[in-house]
Amino acid sequence: MRLAGHGLAIDLPARWEGTIGRRPADPGAAEAAVGPRRIAAALAEEQLLPVAHLGTFALPADRGDFGSGAVDLMGADDVFLALVEYGPECAGSALFARRERLPQLERGQFGAARLQRVQKGQAGAQVFCTVGERAFCIYAVLGAAGRVARLAPEVNAVLAATEVEPR
Amino acid sequence: MTVLVGLEAVVLVLLCLLVAGLLRSHATILRRLHELDAGLDAEVAPRRGGASRAPRPQIPAPGGRRATAPAHDVVGVGLDEEAVAVRVVGAPTDTLLVFLSSGCSTCGAYWEALGDPRLALPGDARLLVIVRDVNEEHPALVQELAPAGVQVLHATTAWNDYEVPGSPYVVLVDGEAGRLRGEGTAATLEQVLSMLGRASDDGAHRARLDARRGDKAAADATREATVDDELLAAGVRPGDPSLYRPVDEEVGG
Repeated sequence: MRLAGHGLAIDLPARWEGTIGRRPADPGAAEAAVGPRRIAAALAEEQLLPVAHLGTFALPADRGDFGSGAVDLMGADDVFLALVEYGPECAGSALFARRERLPQLERGQFGAARLQRVQKGQAGAQVFCTVGERAFCIYAVLGAAGRVARLAPEVNAVLAATEVEPR
Repeated sequence: MTVLVGLEAVVLVLLCLLVAGLLRSHATILRRLHELDAGLDAEVAPRRGGASRAPRPQIPAPGGRRATAPAHDVVGVGLDEEAVAVRVVGAPTDTLLVFLSSGCSTCGAYWEALGDPRLALPGDARLLVIVRDVNEEHPALVQELAPAGVQVLHATTAWNDYEVPGSPYVVLVDGEAGRLRGEGTAATLEQVLSMLGRASDDGAHRARLDARRGDKAAADATREATVDDELLAAGVRPGDPSLYRPVDEEVGG
């Protein structure tokens, strides 16, 4: 199943589903101006930045950029992955090092302390990069920290299957 | 006298014609009432086994599909222009796909029902409303009709994959099996859900019966193997004359 939109394309492996939407570059200003379901229609292109949410479970309609509202629903065998794009001013900066492709995540990069929203038993990983002059934060959550050996490769399979259209 | 008899005969014939007319009219009224109440579309009724008796279908059903036709994942565009891919085949839960449009009059009741928090879905099915692509729909109207918290996708591909004949149309997919569990349409969503619920119950009943048949066959095979083993252990081989001795002779010793 291929998911494509907003300059990203992902061949989703079995079990996975996802969305590629856009978030306001300035969330505070957008919240004051529009409702949560009409962001794309109400804001200009340059005010919007892509965000992909991918998971091995049914993603709920209401989710935060880093999976709040979704990670609460994960089972121990589930995985959540967010690709959050940042503005062009971040591309190539010290935090967002340039890469040819989205990087793979090492098992040692996962830990409970790296979760944006702490859920008992889960493990998270967060890395930043620039691919095709586009700055991304990759944020992954595993349903069970003890299953990192099995679940981290699933995350890496999706990252390897993701194509980033250069800016 | 002859004139009187003649007149009587004419009156009798007229009365017979009147009664025949009344009976015919009565039959027509009954047929119409039956159609209005729970009329069955001959094209739909025999098509899908347990899910076949759709109450008052609005549209013809896709022909030639079996009750266990393969399902498809859904890829489309959400209400906020996001690309969406929903796993339907192989999903741990069933998925209820509700195909609607912003323009059809019957769909109005469906949109309203979908927003009702008391709406009970079959099992723990995941709900997905699918309208046609943005260039074939009125996105602003869909946006207004879509109840909060209900996932709505523009996905004409899904309409084609599931051979949806028109709207409203509802398909229930067995996630683990990756196959259709039932489908149909009716004047209200509640009617369709009731129909699909019965179909699911029938499917579960059939599965239980199949399992029981399987258990019985397995038990028969085990028993046969045990008897064979015991006979072989006692030195009785296939074709042994003792196997064909009359019962009374055996009893008599």
